[in-house]
Amino acid sequence: MTALQQAAAGAVYDRGYRPYSGPRGGRREATLALWRLSVRRALGLRRPWRQKVFPWTLLGLATIPAIVNVGVAWVIRNNPVEMAGFEFITYRDYVGVSTVLILFVALTAPDVVCPDRAQRVLPLLFSRPLTGVDYVAAKVGAIFFIVFGFSFLPQVVLFVGQMLVSEDGALKYFTDHAEVLWQVPIAVALLALLYAAVGVALASLTDRRIVGGVAIMGLAFVTSAVAGIVVDASQGEGTPLAVIGIFFVPLDLRDLVFLGHLHPVDSGLSGVEGGGLIAIVAYSVYVIAAFSLLLYRYREVDL
Amino acid sequence: MHPASSPPMLRAAGLTMTYPNGVTALAGLTVDVPRGSVGLVGANGAGKTTLFRLMLGLMRPTHGVLEVAGHRIDSDPVAVRSRLGYMPEHDCLPLDQTAADVVSSFGELAGLPARAARQRASDVLDLVGLDEARFRPVGGFSTGMRQRTKLAQALVADPELVLLDEPTAGLDPLGREEMLELVGRLAGFGISAILATHLLDDVQRVCQNVVMVDRGHLVLAGPIDQLMQTTGYMRVEVDGRDDAVPALAQALAGHGVTTTPVDDHHIDVDTQVHGDVTFDLVRDAVADLGLRLYAVSTRHRSLDDVFLQEAYR
Repeated sequence: MTALQQAAAGAVYDRGYRPYSGPRGGRREATLALWRLSVRRALGLRRPWRQKVFPWTLLGLATIPAIVNVGVAWVIRNNPVEMAGFEFITYRDYVGVSTVLILFVALTAPDVVCPDRAQRVLPLLFSRPLTGVDYVAAKVGAIFFIVFGFSFLPQVVLFVGQMLVSEDGALKYFTDHAEVLWQVPIAVALLALLYAAVGVALASLTDRRIVGGVAIMGLAFVTSAVAGIVVDASQGEGTPLAVIGIFFVPLDLRDLVFLGHLHPVDSGLSGVEGGGLIAIVAYSVYVIAAFSLLLYRYREVDL
Repeated sequence: MHPASSPPMLRAAGLTMTYPNGVTALAGLTVDVPRGSVGLVGANGAGKTTLFRLMLGLMRPTHGVLEVAGHRIDSDPVAVRSRLGYMPEHDCLPLDQTAADVVSSFGELAGLPARAARQRASDVLDLVGLDEARFRPVGGFSTGMRQRTKLAQALVADPELVLLDEPTAGLDPLGREEMLELVGRLAGFGISAILATHLLDDVQRVCQNVVMVDRGHLVLAGPIDQLMQTTGYMRVEVDGRDDAVPALAQALAGHGVTTTPVDDHHIDVDTQVHGDVTFDLVRDAVADLGLRLYAVSTRHRSLDDVFLQEAYR
């Protein structure tokens, strides 16, 4: 029987098993793969459209101030009077806008860790060449990457847009504002690291996504409210207790990066001796505590 | 294919695992397990899951040495893990992903490049019979399909050894048959398998070797054929006299052969002492006694018999 006749007769071929002889990575590749899968999950990629709506809407919202600023400047670029009176949002201010990304963390941090425990996927993950450290690095890294990206991209839009509409020309704008090229990445990286570490650490305490999300938002609201009360009670003199506002501590570090000192009005630590150092110590304690909790949670996996 | 002339797939020497709460799950387990399909059998609490945990490097033994494919677990558990596939007993799959995504993801997590992982996922899903359903979410799968998906993710990185924890649990008879058929084919692919189960029939059907553990102790280990032979006996059916069975028993006892009467016409004859010579002894005794010999069948004991005999001896 010819091959054509066999095909016409609907022959079924058992292709058997083909061993794999290609490249095979170790821990680093496995960690990168877990990071990639977590990023994909957080952004809703290869998932139903409903999972895509929130992250991409949030990215759009985070970029709106930059687009509006650049757009207005573009419209009035030929009117020197209006242009002189128009105030762009500053790069420093824009880092503050990124605090809205705590919403994103509250939604996605539980989504990338809770199902692993709830659906008992962890034993399978840890049967791969992965350790608890790798798992934590991949999960925190995924959220960090997205928060950083969503904070950084609008700043890029703002920078490029302002270059293009600058009266003095793009090159002059670039050279005059070259310092933001290192200030912005550092400031948003500090914000993204704390948000990702604390968000994933809180989410790791529960199997249920909704509980994890509520816990993150609850921590954000309660700590910021308490910090607001103690700062108000200090009657403008500032208080070390302002660091209770855990998700606003990165903004003090932002000021250290952009201004070299705490902002006299915006920071609850301004007026406190050694306020900058207190902010750095508080930030470090929060991040170290979050990672310690995560490493403890994933030190051992039960089959 | 993996080389056959390599070290034992699993070597345990004095392996002891005592949990912080004082429970000793494994007590000085010493065993060499060859490549191929191996049944790890024992009742609940025998130490099977603990042995899997140790093999996966998820915890360290209290004492002793454990090697998988010639590599000591305690020196580099991650490297050992990259040679293993693991199929847990419980549900463990992300329910909102398609089978293709799940299996290729676990291929990537085993260190395969993304493109190779996708290709391998396609191949192994085809192999386990899920080629038509690969783009459906796992959450909509039946128990049998989920078991196949779990097996596919264990195989996707072409491991040297797969650890299968109760692979037929929860399956209907047809699903069980199909799963056992798949497991039975693994040795032919060059993939060794350790099948942890309390269903001795499953082991008897698809494994060449068995390791029996009970309350952390090794009961026995070896090739199943050999175990069945050395612990077997023949059943003899005779007639011709009212006391045919007692007479034959007495005659064989004179040659040091142990027998167990079954009824007036059947007697079980132990073949452990004399081996095949026992057949000659039975033939001669029947002839000398003037009995009619209707049947001689080599009746192997089941693994259940072996386990019960050895574990509670």
